[in-house]
Amino acid sequence: MSSISMRVNGEMRTATVAPETTLLRFLREQLNLTGAKLGCDVGDCGACTVIVDGMAVNACLMLADQADGRDVLTIEGLATRDQLHPLQQAFEIHAALQCGFCGPGVIMSAKALLDETPDPTVQEINDALAGNLCRCTGYTKMVAAIQDVARSRGAGTVKLPAPGNSGRA
Amino acid sequence: MKAFDVVVAKDANEALALLAAHGARAKLLAGGTDLLVDLKSAAQVPDVVVDISRATDLAGIELTEHGLRIGALATHTAVMRSPLIQEYFPALVDASHTVGAVQTRNLGTLAGNLITCVPSMDGGPPLLALEAIVTLALSAGRREVPLGEFFVGPRKTVLKPDEMLLDIVIPRKNLGKPTAFLKFGLRKGQALALVNVAASAWIDPKRQVFVEPRIALGAVAPTVIRARQAEAWLEGRPATPESMAEAGRIAAGEAKPISDFRASAGYRRDLIQVLTARALAQAAAQAASKRKETSR
Repeated sequence: MSSISMRVNGEMRTATVAPETTLLRFLREQLNLTGAKLGCDVGDCGACTVIVDGMAVNACLMLADQADGRDVLTIEGLATRDQLHPLQQAFEIHAALQCGFCGPGVIMSAKALLDETPDPTVQEINDALAGNLCRCTGYTKMVAAIQDVARSRGAGTVKLPAPGNSGRA
Repeated sequence: MKAFDVVVAKDANEALALLAAHGARAKLLAGGTDLLVDLKSAAQVPDVVVDISRATDLAGIELTEHGLRIGALATHTAVMRSPLIQEYFPALVDASHTVGAVQTRNLGTLAGNLITCVPSMDGGPPLLALEAIVTLALSAGRREVPLGEFFVGPRKTVLKPDEMLLDIVIPRKNLGKPTAFLKFGLRKGQALALVNVAASAWIDPKRQVFVEPRIALGAVAPTVIRARQAEAWLEGRPATPESMAEAGRIAAGEAKPISDFRASAGYRRDLIQVLTARALAQAAAQAASKRKETSR
């Protein structure tokens, strides 16, 4: 067994895992952070995307042991109790997700992009989402949502007329 | 995944000692984008996975007296962001950019791309066209192998079970050599190459002829290959569309493409011809724009 310790969504977590445990299984099964999804499990679909030390990675292609001592951010680390993250707000306003299975991965990829490239071109957004497969909504609304966040950065929230009943705590 | 042990090696020497101790029962883990996929479906897993992903002496991209050194742990993202590679070898940036997607490029290494050795690898053609050399090490010593001799067959290289790749070196004589990489896949994102081509060449400024043209083809033979007949024909010929087209025709004849569910052999031959001519034209255009810059 490997003893590991890493910062997950700002909190230090220490655990013992079987060495062959992927970061994804560790997050989902030991920390009960089930936002990152187990999709293809071979690095094609991006449903498991998390941010490790500032970089978007497939959590299914990393051993939990490799994340020892690192900083891991998952979709659960974005919203606060009172407010969704601007990307989450924008995805809601644009109805950019239907089934939502790819959503956590898409949003983490978008966050990693915006953290480095605050004002991306459509081509840069497409490139950032190439490793996140969405098979129901399509990408047009996601790209629009990400562009909105980029435009309204600094304002704290996405300034768009919110449709009725969209406010969630 | 079946159970295995993980041992972290903090540098190349530790990794080599572990490989010497465990031999074929050990596997090196760097980016993991190929290894973990293989291990998940493997009937037999290694006893020990030696994790070198944080071995600092294997990282880095730097200029040395021998040329440009790309450490074994340099990821595709690191290649794309390296100011040295952007300056001297933009074709390598293009090639790494077409590998997988952001998430896999952030993990996967250029060296791993060579070691997994699938015929459609994108890292191989530009490095082969730039006559890269790989440094391999056993605990007993090192050897330098020209990249063309490193590839043996699909998923097979000359690496011994207890041997590891330390770095990739592009020789100093090729620093800044005009080089282009082109890939044709079925989609723009996350697609394997039907054909990929890299061409490097100097252009003699007075005579406007090709000097040391090098053409490398991927996905059209058991390994990435050089189109040596096309190179020999092109040497000293004028940098014209006609000569580039003829080099493309010769290169297409040298390849041994197969028909599979992605494309037919005939289609792949057509692609080789077109992409080779285009890559040569791009390399020639780079040479021309560099000349303009220096004469300004």
